[in-house]
Amino acid sequence: MSDTSSAPRRFFTVSGLPVDCVYEPPSGPLPPELGRPGEYPYTRGIYPTMYRGRPWTIRQYSGFSTAEESNKRYRYLLERGGTGLSVAFDLPTQIGYDSDHSLADGEVGKVGVAIDTVEDMHALFDGIPLDQVSTSMTINSTAAILLAMYIVVAEERGISRKKLSGTIQNDILKEYIARGTYRFPPRPSLRLVCDTFGFCAREMPKWNPISISGYHIREAGSTAIQEIAFTLADAICYIETALSAGLAIDDFAPRLSFFFAAHTDFFEEAAKFRAARRLYARIMKERFNARDPKSLMLRFHTQTGGVTLTAQQPDNNIVRVTIQALAAVLGGTQSLHTNAKDEALSLPTEHAAQIAIRTQQIIAEESGVTATVDPLGGSYFVENLTDRLETEAAALIAEIDRMGGMVSAIESGWVQRQIEKSAYAFGQSLEKNERIIVGVNKYRLENEPAPEIFKVPSNLSSVQAEKLRRIRSERDANRVKESLDRLEQAARTTENLMPLLIETVRARASIGEICNTLEKVFGLHEQI
Amino acid sequence: MSSDTPASPRRPDGGRFRILIAKPGLDGHDRGAKYVANVLRDAGFEVIYTGIRRTPEQIVRAALQEDVDAIGISLLSGAHMTLVARLTGLLAEHGADHLPLFVGGVIPESDIPELKALGVCEVYGPGTSARTLVESLTVHLEKHVHERPA
Amino acid sequence: MNVLPDDLIAQARDGGHIGMRAGARLMTLLENDPEKQAEFLRKTGFPSGPRLVLGITGAPGCGKSTLVDALLAAFRSLHPDARIGVIAIDPSSPFTGGAILADRVRMMRHAEDPAIFVRSMASRGHLGGLALGVGGVLSVMAWMGFDIVLIETVGVGQSEVDIVRTADEVAVVLAPGNGDSLQLLKAGLMEIGGLIVVNKADKDGAEALRDGVLAMLELADTTRHREVLLVSATENRGVTELASRFESLGSANSHRRSAETRREKARQLLLQLATRRLEHSLENHPRIREELVRRIEDPSGSWTGLVQDLLAAAATADSIQPSPRKPSHV
Repeated sequence: MSDTSSAPRRFFTVSGLPVDCVYEPPSGPLPPELGRPGEYPYTRGIYPTMYRGRPWTIRQYSGFSTAEESNKRYRYLLERGGTGLSVAFDLPTQIGYDSDHSLADGEVGKVGVAIDTVEDMHALFDGIPLDQVSTSMTINSTAAILLAMYIVVAEERGISRKKLSGTIQNDILKEYIARGTYRFPPRPSLRLVCDTFGFCAREMPKWNPISISGYHIREAGSTAIQEIAFTLADAICYIETALSAGLAIDDFAPRLSFFFAAHTDFFEEAAKFRAARRLYARIMKERFNARDPKSLMLRFHTQTGGVTLTAQQPDNNIVRVTIQALAAVLGGTQSLHTNAKDEALSLPTEHAAQIAIRTQQIIAEESGVTATVDPLGGSYFVENLTDRLETEAAALIAEIDRMGGMVSAIESGWVQRQIEKSAYAFGQSLEKNERIIVGVNKYRLENEPAPEIFKVPSNLSSVQAEKLRRIRSERDANRVKESLDRLEQAARTTENLMPLLIETVRARASIGEICNTLEKVFGLHEQI
Repeated sequence: MSSDTPASPRRPDGGRFRILIAKPGLDGHDRGAKYVANVLRDAGFEVIYTGIRRTPEQIVRAALQEDVDAIGISLLSGAHMTLVARLTGLLAEHGADHLPLFVGGVIPESDIPELKALGVCEVYGPGTSARTLVESLTVHLEKHVHERPA
Repeated sequence: MNVLPDDLIAQARDGGHIGMRAGARLMTLLENDPEKQAEFLRKTGFPSGPRLVLGITGAPGCGKSTLVDALLAAFRSLHPDARIGVIAIDPSSPFTGGAILADRVRMMRHAEDPAIFVRSMASRGHLGGLALGVGGVLSVMAWMGFDIVLIETVGVGQSEVDIVRTADEVAVVLAPGNGDSLQLLKAGLMEIGGLIVVNKADKDGAEALRDGVLAMLELADTTRHREVLLVSATENRGVTELASRFESLGSANSHRRSAETRREKARQLLLQLATRRLEHSLENHPRIREELVRRIEDPSGSWTGLVQDLLAAAATADSIQPSPRKPSHV
């Protein structure tokens, strides 16, 4: 998001009182740890006028079933005021198995859309102007392949890859830590990440090649402190990998983006975003000597916490999501996904999805929080929380450094154990009623009515398998084989694999075929 | 020697109950599975934790080698029908269909009767408390241990 | 159920899933009641053990399970026809007695290999007793026809020493950056292994750690042959070499496999079981306990006298009742 305010527009409260863009201490020097919005260390936000210039992007994560069905849901979201797309892929696609693989049995189209070849990708974005929307894809171990598919879809529609804007999640480290959709071991996976960094820096100026994600770490049960620390420690690892591959910090750092969760502990959450922003700016400046101000800015997407949703009394989730969304906005997020109330039970119904979007629109258009930058800044409580979260997170990062960095810390299982311990402690605090979740351990209802839930059509494996069979029979088999052989050779060297992946995709090679080829060189990762 | 919590259930031969916890399918969100493993450990069970992305074949072999008293699986991705059917089929093939099978995770209410018809002992949905889980499991285990073939 | 079912014992020799199930049941029975081992050994005619029993020990976090996983792959390719067993031990909670046994997680790529059998055990708070439990599982594996057995220990404490006595050769695993590894070195626990493995050779500090270990060994007594190997289990470097060294060192101890040694070991085991039972009986004998407590609390009394009395009673073989004699003074 950029700061595009031009003609100064004036803001007033409902009573008619004028509202300034920023409020600062009335006298004395500005505390250096605070700074001004849009200035180092960016505690108060990365843009001088924040949401006055432009509100955050409403970006709702969605996708299920076939590409055709998901395409309908995207159009529905865009028509209702969504301003960016966020694609959910099914698990076989995320791990790189074709829909007809035995491990894909039962999983096809379940938690997201099934993509086997670029033809599915064409269907997914049918009728959506790729040069006008920004598309975020939750894809990690196979991110480079899905990016290649997106590029080829645009190319075959006559759109240059230079015009494409969006994000691939591409954060493989947190897969080993928390989410589990890895395919290859850490080191070759990091090489693929690095290849996308290099490729995007040269060819895709508007594309974010990574979204370094604390969200899943938090979902797995970490504390807010661990969420900051482990996410930034992952970032440090990616940056060091890219630097050692010969990239220059200011060439790729401006396009690093982040992804955090927003939970219900309102003040800690708002402070968390401020602390993460400041700590990142310091790391980039002091540890990596980045000079470009854009390299120092932590830009992030937020999703309200999936684990905070309750299956009991699901309407209550609307209120939770509102509080969480507000924390994200007051923390200065660049884009936001609000969960639908029924997502503890299934993918959202259309009605629930609409309420989720409306929640963001009410905050943006009715609450008045967009009128001034960082309205919580200067609160004794929030500033204190911000300081303490930053200090504690920095201490954890130092501990990871002592272990030899994030890959070592993950390989030894330490990071996973820290998260498991926090998750267990939190769960135990609920069991003992030390913490309350309304409707779960207090204010329960007996005999709750079964809610309406969304059911993904079953037996998609055969639909996708049939499509795949057709494509395999129609494509140029020689071209597929040549492109895959070429990919395999290159994978054994240090050549950037992106151009070769694009060629395999153009040839209509399937994601499974591409990953099997890479696996021959990279190996298969076993759980740590 | 350790001090037992009063609730700590034992097999008739004095040994600890052994329970296999696994996540079949491709979903990697293991918070729930790990939480349950910790809860059961603290209730005095021996938990054989096999991790994420296990195939039904791997789960059955592990259950046999570990001679567990029950199997608990966590399923979130919506693939439960397919995976449970394969698992119960394999258990029967290996003469282990007497083993109680428990399912936890996101399972629509309407699928529960079909899962039970496949041989699932109990389905624990989101928000099941640790106490409820341990009590329910203990009842099933104590019942089962007397019916178990030698 | 005081007797081991004969059909289980017979079935355990079946190579398929029936044997797997029966063997696993026997392991449970022997683990829950180590005294059944005597019956098992008698009924199975003291089966000759696996060709090779190897112990892997080391501090938590040094990558033992990953190393076992890599060793499994190495032994499988060195001996395609061999059947390999793994006994993986994790600690029991001292508070609840429960345990999470998670070593399997890192070995799951072998889960469908019919030649590999993995059994997890909880330490169950015993020290010497754990070795008894392991011995039971090991003898069932022997009966089932396993050629090689790898024992992965908890990695802390005295129980290590007991368990590794069971093995033909032991590798102590260390890793750079693992503080507990250093504690292990300082505590002299590496004395128990003929092989010292510096794992995570891909990490900074691995070579320095190896050099440190070599320097320490130079200072230590040189009567025992020790080798230090650099290995990276995750990158599968040096693992085949480790497997071969393990095997030749272990086989050098093959005299332990002779019939005479096996009988001797069985005798020792039975003696150990009997001693344990005796200890247990004495401890729980109300009159002996009472007498012991009384004598300990009596400032002029001698509790060692009680032991002498008991031994004397045993020698006359009539009774082991403690002397009913009251002390002459008050």
